[in-house]
Amino acid sequence: METLHYLSLGFGVALQPENLLFALMGCFIGTLIGALPGLGPANGVAILIPLAFTLGLKPETALIMLTAVYAGAMYGGRISSILLNIPGDEPAMMTCLDGYPMARQGKAAEALAISAIASFMGSLIATIGLILLAPLLARFALTFGPAEYFALFVLAFATLGGITGKNPMKTLMAAAIGLIIATVGIDLSTGTQRYTFGVLELYEGVDFIIAIVGLFAVSELLFFIEEKAGAGREMIKVNPLKLKWRDITSIFPTTLRGGVLGFIAGVLPGAGASLGSFISYTLEKKILGKKGYFGEGDPRGVAAPESGNNGASSGALVPMLTLGVPGSGTTAVLLAMLVSLNITPGPLMFTQNADLVWGVIAALLVGNFMLLLLNIPLVGVFVKILSVPPMYLLPIVTMVAVVGIYSISHSTFDLYFMIAFGVAGYILRKLEIPLVPVILGLLLGPEMEKNLRHAMQISDGDWSILWSSGLSIGLWLVAIIGLLLPVVVGPILRRRMQAAKEKVG
Amino acid sequence: MSKFNDRVFGLVMLVIAVAYYYGATQFPVPFGGSEAVGPETFPKLLAVILAICSLYMIVKPDPDNHWPASRTFVELGIAVVTLIVYALLLEPLGFIVSTTLAVGTLCWRMGARPIKAYLTGLISGVVVFVLFTYGLELPLPLGLLEMN
Repeated sequence: METLHYLSLGFGVALQPENLLFALMGCFIGTLIGALPGLGPANGVAILIPLAFTLGLKPETALIMLTAVYAGAMYGGRISSILLNIPGDEPAMMTCLDGYPMARQGKAAEALAISAIASFMGSLIATIGLILLAPLLARFALTFGPAEYFALFVLAFATLGGITGKNPMKTLMAAAIGLIIATVGIDLSTGTQRYTFGVLELYEGVDFIIAIVGLFAVSELLFFIEEKAGAGREMIKVNPLKLKWRDITSIFPTTLRGGVLGFIAGVLPGAGASLGSFISYTLEKKILGKKGYFGEGDPRGVAAPESGNNGASSGALVPMLTLGVPGSGTTAVLLAMLVSLNITPGPLMFTQNADLVWGVIAALLVGNFMLLLLNIPLVGVFVKILSVPPMYLLPIVTMVAVVGIYSISHSTFDLYFMIAFGVAGYILRKLEIPLVPVILGLLLGPEMEKNLRHAMQISDGDWSILWSSGLSIGLWLVAIIGLLLPVVVGPILRRRMQAAKEKVG
Repeated sequence: MSKFNDRVFGLVMLVIAVAYYYGATQFPVPFGGSEAVGPETFPKLLAVILAICSLYMIVKPDPDNHWPASRTFVELGIAVVTLIVYALLLEPLGFIVSTTLAVGTLCWRMGARPIKAYLTGLISGVVVFVLFTYGLELPLPLGLLEMN
């Protein structure tokens, strides 16, 4: 009952005309961002953060817009999967398997429509899951002390590489690099200057928004230049839509299963959207077995991964909102937004910023309907923009990133910093060191250190407090498993995903 | 396949870890005496973790991703320099002029024909300028185009 009360409060926030407008804008931009190959959701949200800032939006409006972008990006990812056979982002990879064959059979419009409906169902199911689960988890998280939080942060880093991650040592290294950058600046509790080298601009530390935009946007530009992918690829033409009601009802059970599985994958640390779409596709193939023609353009093969990855992306908001610990790159970027709006993420947010949290959740529901309405009739517009070759698009995107950073502080120093981060991001990606842990380290570094200090003050310098309660031992165990599991299971899973892809391609 | 990259990077990071640890030992003792966990504890912890990861990378490197050929390397260099010059000239030349140059150069180097490339730069520059200055009321520098 309490939840319903809060939810109606949330709708009150989300349905304000201004918020509705920004949600609609976010949905549109998000779909675009998701559709453009290479411009992943994390990247897109990162570029928009400085803009949301300079617009002077209210916290809830800014967050609603960015959440809409996030949701939209998951919708958009499918467009390039289906029409170009290039996934817009990693989770959309599985959609290529049946989406592209469908498009080649002249059923591109149907594939797009089915995937939009599946995305809608997946998000809807997962958002309902979020509404039910998040308050419970938040209440539980209130019992966490500083030691538990410290362990939780370690867990977040350990599982961030995900089960499909390659080398856990590199994930760990990336996290350490991020945390190290976060220590630059004046120490908050003692006032000691750390690693500032007397440079005034470093006193307040490294602004993570600059780091994020540099790491994602600028390094992306460099990658495109290297791959000489400027000209873009040939695209399949979209036919007029002929969708019967029966086509929709036939994928209904698939989307239901996909949404639930995706949600679970999203909530669990380290699983994420890629795994969500992979599991729902594989399960669907197992269940339907010979009745389907998977890999040759089965509509259910489009519906399953799409509902799975949208479910997972909403599910991933659960740990981010309740614990302040994001489970994916994009939720990490959303967290960055919260932190820079001076909102402390975590369980207290549900009581202290109830209107904001519930406003965002309600906006997720509203945004979903918008996305469905936007995606079926407007798919042609997105396809048009998608056909703009990257050689024009990427420079413009980079320019928008530059303007965004510049407009925060009107300082060119920040721009040099952003470029430096871009080059660093390029090198790290070349070495297959993941960027998301770096960002998470930058974000969580101060919180993590604060909790370590609190724990130590309580125990008077006894380190064993960090693993003295049952809960914290449990968290440490999961962290260790999260670090070791990819070594064992990762290669198998990756091989299977690759094999599935090759069989079709 | 060579495993050069990881080794070199590991070595660089190891040096950084040592320097970072040394840096942490040099912090002045905070006012009010040292505590169990001072400003140096967390950095020391991180330095140890970074050092362990670096050693691991040196001992067990992954195979290299191939680096781009030297010509592509030059192109990457041009892109980075373009961005730096863009930042440098943003205020003196103003937003529209510098954007035309920067976006144009990037488009051109990515394979667009020069005229189309710089036209893209000009149009995008004007559109963003108008959007920011009049739509969002966030004035961007006009630079050369400023009328006194």
